[in-house]
This record gives sequence, C-alpha cells and structure tokens, in this order.
Amino acid sequence: MVVKIGFLVNPIAGMGGRVGLKGTDGVADEAIKLGAEPVSPKKAVETIKEFLSKYSQDDINWYTCSGEMGEDELKKANIKNFKIIYSHSKEKTTSNDTKNACKKFLENGVDLILFCGGDGTARDIFSIVKNKIPILGIPSGVKMHSGVFGINTNAAAKMLHEFANKRLAVGDAEIMDLDEERYRKGDWNIKLFGIAKGIVEPMYVQVGKTVFESVSEDAVKEERAEHIIDDMKENKEYLYLMGSGGTVDYIAKKIGVKNTLLGIDAIYQNKLIGSDLNEKEILKLLDKYAKAKVILSPIGAQGFILGRGNLQLSPKVVRKIALDNIIVISTPSKLLSTPVLRVDTGDKKLDRDFAKKEFMMVVVGYRLSRVVKIQTNNF
Amino acid sequence: MKRNPNAFLKEEYEELVKKNFDWKLHILETGSTPHSIVDGKEVIMLCSNNYLNLSNHPKLIQAAVDAAKKFGAGSGSVRAIAGTMALHMEVEKRLAKFKGTEASLVYQTGFAANAGLIPQLAGKGDIIVSDELNHGSIIDGVRLTKADRAVYKHCDMGDLEKVLKEADKKYNRILIISDGVFSMDGDIAPMDQIVKLGKEYGAMTYVDDAHGEGVIGPDGRGIGAHFGIEGKIDVEMGTFSKAYGVVGGLIAGSQDLINFAYNKSRTWLLSGSHPPAVAGAQLAAINVLETEPEHVKKLWDNTKYFKKELASMGFDTGFSETPITPVIVGESSKAKELSDKLYEEGVFALPIVFPMVARDKARIRTMMNAGLTKEDLDYTLEKFEKLGKQLKII
Repeated sequence: MVVKIGFLVNPIAGMGGRVGLKGTDGVADEAIKLGAEPVSPKKAVETIKEFLSKYSQDDINWYTCSGEMGEDELKKANIKNFKIIYSHSKEKTTSNDTKNACKKFLENGVDLILFCGGDGTARDIFSIVKNKIPILGIPSGVKMHSGVFGINTNAAAKMLHEFANKRLAVGDAEIMDLDEERYRKGDWNIKLFGIAKGIVEPMYVQVGKTVFESVSEDAVKEERAEHIIDDMKENKEYLYLMGSGGTVDYIAKKIGVKNTLLGIDAIYQNKLIGSDLNEKEILKLLDKYAKAKVILSPIGAQGFILGRGNLQLSPKVVRKIALDNIIVISTPSKLLSTPVLRVDTGDKKLDRDFAKKEFMMVVVGYRLSRVVKIQTNNF
Repeated sequence: MKRNPNAFLKEEYEELVKKNFDWKLHILETGSTPHSIVDGKEVIMLCSNNYLNLSNHPKLIQAAVDAAKKFGAGSGSVRAIAGTMALHMEVEKRLAKFKGTEASLVYQTGFAANAGLIPQLAGKGDIIVSDELNHGSIIDGVRLTKADRAVYKHCDMGDLEKVLKEADKKYNRILIISDGVFSMDGDIAPMDQIVKLGKEYGAMTYVDDAHGEGVIGPDGRGIGAHFGIEGKIDVEMGTFSKAYGVVGGLIAGSQDLINFAYNKSRTWLLSGSHPPAVAGAQLAAINVLETEPEHVKKLWDNTKYFKKELASMGFDTGFSETPITPVIVGESSKAKELSDKLYEEGVFALPIVFPMVARDKARIRTMMNAGLTKEDLDYTLEKFEKLGKQLKII
C-alpha cells in the first residue's frame, strides 16, 4: 500500500548550538553572523539516504516544500518523484513557512509528517496539525525534549520504514520546548506545549499459545485508568494531584472530570477541586488535605517525571506529598524508548532522596507494574 | 433487536486468516516418533516435546494397556468425588519420591495446574512477581487473581530484588513465579538465587518446570535436582506431557501445599480425573526414568552434538542450556523460508517470529529427541548447512 509522507526541513534548525546560542528561535541572523553553518539539511539527506539504502522497496509518495525546505534534500538523496506542495517566497525561511507547509500537508492528506529540526520546529508543526496526523522528527535542533524524535538519523529512517509497513502504532508524544527568550537570560523553563501524535512500538497481547495481537494504545490506557480508579476507591481520604500528559489525562476522563491536559489538577473523591494549579494553589490544597498522592507519567523524549513541564510541582510540594505517594504510570512503549525515569527538581537534597530510592515501581497496566531506574544527575 | 448471534464466529476467524494468524494444523499419520509422517511426508521431528521418546517406550505402552484392561477406559468422576483410584495415589507417591519432595499432586494438564493453583496462592493485598518471559499459562493463572503483579527483567536477579524490596513494604504475601526452562530460548532460570531471595524477603517461590522435568537434573529429576535444592522450591510445577511422554500436570512440594492445592484448585476439583491408561503410563514413565538412565543421557549427547555442529557452521544458537536449541536467523520472513525449505528436505522444525521474539531475532526452534540417531542428526545438520548458505544466514 502507498504511504503519503509529508517531508519538511527547517534549514536553520540547530544552527544556534555550535555558536553557543542555545537555540535558533528568533536569532537566526545572529547565529549566521557568528559563523553558524546549516546542520539540518545534511541530517535530512543522511536520513533519506539511509532509508533508501535499506528500505528502497517501500512504496512512498513524497510531498515536500520548495528549495532547502525539502526539495533540495530529496534531490540530493536521489529521490526524483515528489510533489512540491508549498513554496516559500523569501530567501530566508521562517516559522510561518513551516506552519503554511503543514496546512498544505493536511490538505493533501499525508499519513505522516517527517521533519528535520528541533523542538521549535516540532512546536510550529504541532500548532497546525495538532493531533490529526502523526509526526516524526529527524533530530537536528539544539534542543530535543519533545517525544517525537528518532534517537538519531538511522533510527528515524528505521521508524519511517516500520511506519510505512504498518508495524508501528500511533501514540501520544509530548511537544516540549524551552522558553528560549527566558533561557538566554539564564532562566531554565521547559514547557509542555501539547500532546501530539507520534509513532510508537505497539503493545502486543498473547491471544493463543504463540499468536499475538497488537492492542490499541487506548486499550492499554483503559487498563491503567482502571488501576488508578481502584486506587482512588481504596484511598477515599486522599487528594489526588493529576500531572500533565495524555496518560494521566485519560484517567480524569474516565472519572468524568474535565481536567487540563497540560497543567496540574486536583481530584478529591471523584470531583475536580482545582484545575491548572500553580505552586501556591497546590500548597494551599496540601494544607487542607492531610493525605495526598500525585500521579505522574514520564514526559518528553528523556523521560522526566519531575523538573520538565511541571515546575508547579516544586520541591516544597513534592516533600509535602512524600516520595512514597508518587504514583508513576506509563505506557509500555514509552518505557521502551525512555528506560529510565529522570528527576531534576532543582533541589539537590530532594534529588538525592530520589537517587537513594534508585528505582520506582511504574504502573504499566491493570495491577501490573515494573521497576524502572531513577536518574537524577543533571544533563 | 434482530441480530445474527453467530456472525462473529466466521468474521473473527476470517480476520485471523487474513492476518495469517490462524493455526494451520499439521496432521501426523504416525505417532509422535523421531521419524513422523506430517501432512503426508516423512520428516525428522524437531518440534515435539517428547524429549525422551518415552511416548513410544514399550513399558509405557504396556502399562497403559494393562491399566485400561484392569480398570476400564475412563475414571467415572472428578478426583474429589469418586474418581480417585489407588493407581492415581500411587503415581503421586512415586512422583514425590522421584522429585525429592514430601508430596505431589497430579492435575489434568499443566495449564490446569497453573490456572487452578496460582489464583489461590495470592489474593487482594498480595503481589505476584513474575519473569517477563513467563509462559502464557502462568500469565492466565495470574490474571485470575486479585493480587497486584510486578514484572522483572528476564532472569535479572538485581531487578527481582528491587521489586521484592519494594513489595516487602506494601504487601502481605509475595509469590515469585518463573519458568524453569524458558521455552523460546532454552535458558534456565537461576532458581537457586530465586529461592535465596525468596527466603530473604519471605516470598513463596513457584517454578513452572514443564521443559525441565525429565530433562535437567540427575536422571531428569527437574530443576530442583539440577541446582541441588530439592524440596526447597515451595511449588515445583511440571507436566507429564513433555519428557514423560504421557499427559497431565503436576505439582510437588510440602504436604501442606498438596492439602491446600487439591482443596482449593477449581480446575482440579471440577474436571474428570485421568483415565486409568494415563495414570498407568505416568507410573511407568517414572519407573523408566528411575531405572533406565540411558534415555536422559542420549538426549544430552544428541543435544551437545547438535549444538556444537550448528555453532561450528556459524549459526547463532543464542544462550540455550537445554535441548531447546534456537537457530536465530534474523528477519521473520527468513525464518519462515528456512522452515518451509527444511520441511521440503524432510526436517520438521517450525519458525518463531516477532512478536514472540524480537524483530531481528526470528528463529527456528528445534527440540532434541533421544530417539534420533547420529545419522538422523547428520542428515539434519547437512540440510541446515546447505539451506543456511543458500539463504545467506551463514
């Protein structure tokens, strides 16, 4: 079967890194002045070449953008048949070009957007496609915290091949980015911008002695939701703080409360009593309710449970809840790509307490858990 | 509402066929013999679990005939009501002695043992700790409990200890379950260490020794004997259907375990007991294992020769320590092709592909048999070498 791939290169992605700019958003001119050279076109060509050398038999219709936003790279990789669906007008490309190209990809009904860039590019794409179609990133930015990237160009090529052959499933992937403006001023704040569709290793269940069937991500989500709902029934006196991300969000949906996908919410006896809470509001609730648990799931490409995308859960909050009352839930496919849980609370002593635990039990299904290592050193 | 209540049968079956997930049954016109006729063609059998070829042993056949003549074709009842014959009790007594445990209990099948006993050993407030590669019948047994479940990395004792440490704080009972010999890779669980960890954390230990029974340990006494820890594994579960050459599940352990098990296992209580012929053959199998060590020896001689030759040809045979030898070929399509070609050449060995094993670890799983001669093995090896080269595996 033919698969339609929308291919997009952000030619300036990754340029800020070599010249110490920690990102290229809004400062491409400065980066070029400092002598930065394009990184992503090379990576894009590398990936497509790798893909062709190993998986040339895959039946793919390519859709791309003019010039260095895709056309040049496909030609260099020796792909002759492709359709240009967007041409950028000015010499330099901007984030608007990425967004406009994505609109065209949607109009043309592509099955997957393969892009080359970093977190900023992923954000631009997500702002248009939301979770309508899956996206896959060839890593080439300065920052790649989002969960949509292959770990390197070879991995991205392989994932594309597996996707084209329907061997990978579509699942949640967080779109994260550093607030670059604030970061250049020395303020570290990684935000969770949304939950896109990424491609993931599917879950299989045994249906016969040696026959397995893949189950949808939703079915697995269902199991974990039931697990947590049981936990809530058994611990009626507890306040439950709900972390961010699709895995946690699904539980709230099952309970029937409207929580926020990206923020921290609070549930008590099946009722939403606080939504999109900040640190102060959380601490206030913790004063009122003596016992509390927090439900977290690893976020982004590196598997952070604390310190990225949820700074509201400050060291003070975490201490008050106590480490033993943290419930970590995850899809099994996520644990495959992020085999460790990372913690970076910004409080060395608290990080050490996590380090002392060495590992955490992670709920992966109904009453089913696995131990996963905790990593706390900074990166 | 008007509905066709049977429509799903056909639809779901056809869906399986479409995905190529349906079972294509292979028909044997012979017994399960080293040379069998499968789908009309004579082949060397490398797929059966009849490791010691005991299903064809004259003493087992005679014992089955004698028991049927003396006690009839069926047993008339479930064990608990009127289906326990002196012969059944004799099997259990002899089995316990053979395994070096206080007592034993025979179930209708191995599946019935796991599905019947596991749910009784742990309930609400308890946790079952399970190796990630455990067999489907254990997984089903575990599903029937209200206990929590935690999975540890395959044979990883560090990972197991972490789970135990965490479980120790929160749960009442802890039950560790592992396959003894893992059926896809042929490796052996470190039961000595599992028992040690179990002791340390007050956890009960349960081993499914289906592929180790009659195969590993002195005289094929199983995994307890293999590690010299007879009677120390709380539940040794196994089967009469593989190396013993008959059918039936079994557990061996303390008298307390057996009393508990037969009073609580619903599979045991609610299925008819084995026909006398089965029990007679089971008893004879134990007799043969105790008095004729040559079968286990031959199985291992064959295994060692086969593994050594395959390895010297350049095949990847993984980490197997038992007569289950995987021949790892890589892509699923290659494993299927090799299996088809082996059949054409008169060797019956089936492929194991993703997702049963990793995508790049598709394999042919071979199971050795004590009834195969050196000529049979050389013939098989020659075919493996020829086809391995042809398919560019070696």
